[in-house]
Amino acid sequence: MGGNRWRRALPPAAALAVTLLAWQAACVLFRIDPWLLPDPWRLVRYMADEASLLWWHLEYTLGLALRGMLLGSAAGVLCAVLFHALPAVRAALSPLIVMSQNVPLIALGPLLMVWFGFGLLPKMILLVLVCFFPVAWSMLAGLQHAEPKLREYLAMIGASRRQTFWRLELPASLPYFFSGLKLTAAYSFSTAVVAEWLGSGRGIGYFLVLQSRGYKTTGVFAAILCIVACSLLLYGLAAGVERIGLRRLRPGAERVKGGGAA
Amino acid sequence: MSGLQGSPGGSGGTPWKLEVVSVSKRYMRDGKPLHVLDRISLGVREGEFVSVVGPSGSGKSTLFRLIGGVERPDAGSIRIAGRDVTGQRGHISYMPQQPALFPWLTVRQNIVSALTIARVERKRAVRLAEEWLERVGLGDVAGAYPHELSGGMQQRVSFLRALLMPRDVMCLDEPFAALDALTRTRMQAWLLMQWEASRRSVLLVTHSIEEAVLLSDRIYVLGKSPATVRREIRVPFPRPRSQDIWTDPAFTRLRADILALLEGNGEHDD
Repeated sequence: MGGNRWRRALPPAAALAVTLLAWQAACVLFRIDPWLLPDPWRLVRYMADEASLLWWHLEYTLGLALRGMLLGSAAGVLCAVLFHALPAVRAALSPLIVMSQNVPLIALGPLLMVWFGFGLLPKMILLVLVCFFPVAWSMLAGLQHAEPKLREYLAMIGASRRQTFWRLELPASLPYFFSGLKLTAAYSFSTAVVAEWLGSGRGIGYFLVLQSRGYKTTGVFAAILCIVACSLLLYGLAAGVERIGLRRLRPGAERVKGGGAA
Repeated sequence: MSGLQGSPGGSGGTPWKLEVVSVSKRYMRDGKPLHVLDRISLGVREGEFVSVVGPSGSGKSTLFRLIGGVERPDAGSIRIAGRDVTGQRGHISYMPQQPALFPWLTVRQNIVSALTIARVERKRAVRLAEEWLERVGLGDVAGAYPHELSGGMQQRVSFLRALLMPRDVMCLDEPFAALDALTRTRMQAWLLMQWEASRRSVLLVTHSIEEAVLLSDRIYVLGKSPATVRREIRVPFPRPRSQDIWTDPAFTRLRADILALLEGNGEHDD
C-alpha cells in the first residue's frame, strides 16, 4: 500500500523536476531577462526574502476565502433544504440561481462595489454567491436521490416527512454535501483573489495587481505560486473534513453514496 | 370468508386484525387504464399467519401499498383492528423483499430507529432490541453494520425489526425472494420457529407455494390481472410444523391444487 503510493507519486514528481530543470536551463542558456521570465531559483530566493510580506497578504486572503466558504456552504445547505422541502420555491427560483451563476465575476464585482462600497461586504457577497452554489446543488441532488428502497420502507411503516428527512434524506445527502464542499473549496481562494482586484489594500490578489502593473514578473510568479498552493490547501482541508465527517456521521457507510444497502 | 364481505368480526372465533374489504385499484399506464386489483377481500385474524400467493405481476405489491396506506384504493376499504384506516399510514409493520437496513446505522440502531418511529420510547426500544437480538442469536452482531452481514442475517434483522414494532399486523413482502435456495430454506425454518413463539398476526406475500403452505394457517390464491381472490385455502397441517411436511402426500396434493389454480389463469411466468 505504502510502496504503491510512492510508485504512483514518482512519475508526476519526475515530470515536475524535469520541467523545473528545463526552465532553469533555458533561462540561463538563453539569458532570458527576469522581467520576462524569472528562473525557478530566482523565484525561490524572492519568496524566501519576501516571506513575511507574502504571508501578510496571504493571511488576509485566506481569512476571506475561509469565511466565504463557511458562509457559502451554510447558505448552500439552507438553500438545498428549503428547495427540497418546498418544490414550488425550487421551481420558481432555480432558473434564476442558475442564471446568476453565469454572470462573469469581473462584471459582477464592480457592480457590487457600486452598490456596497469598498469594504468587506461586497467581497463577502461575491464569495458567498460563488461558494453556495456547488454545495446547494450537490446536496439537493443528495436529498432527492436517497435510496428508494429505504424511502419506500419508511413510507410503509408510516414515518412522517420530518422523520424521513432526519433519518434518511439528510444522512444520505452527506457524501453529496462533502463533494460540493470540496468544489467550493477549490473555487473559494481564487474567487477571493478576484474580489481583491476590485479594490482592497491588502491580500494576495491586491499584491498580484501591484506587481503586474509594475512589470515585476518575479512577484507575479510568486503570487501565482501562493494562490495555487493555498487553493490546494483549502481543497485538502475540505477533503480532510469530508473524511472525518463521513466517518463520524455515517460510520459503516463511508463508501456508500446515497444510502444504498450493502 | 363471506363474513368479510359484510360486517366482519365479532361473529365467532378470534377478532379480525386486518380486513381488506372489496378493494379495487387501477392505474393509468401509457394513457390506458390498467386494472390491477379487482374487488379483493381478505383478512387476517389475531395470531394468524396468512399468505397471499399469486403469479408475478398479480398486484401483490400494490396490495401492500394499499394496506400500508401509501396509496388509496379506488374502491373498498382497509380495516385494521376494527377501524377503517383506508389511506392512513403507520398501522402496520413491514418487512420488504430487500432488507432495507440503513447502512450508516448498526444492527441495534436500525431496530431502535424503527421502533421510535412507532412511538416506542427510546430507552425501551434499546432494551427491546438488545434483548431480542440476544434471544434470536444475533447478539454478536448488534454493533455491526449491515454490510458486514450476509443476506440471510440481514433479513433476520429486518424480520426482527418488523416483529418488535408494536403494530397490529406484520406485512412480509416476499421476504426471501432474493436469497439463494439453501439460505431461503433455512430462513423459512427460522421464521417458522420465531413466529410460532410470538404468534403475531402476519400477512405474507409470496410466489412460492411451498413457503406459503409451510408457514400459513390460510392461503389466498390470487389470479392474474386484474387480480381477484380465486380461492381461500385452509392449511390442514398442525403446529408446531417443520419442513418435514414437504414430503407429506397431503402437502403434494395441496401444492398441486394451488399450482392448478395459478396456472388456470393464463401463463405462470416463474
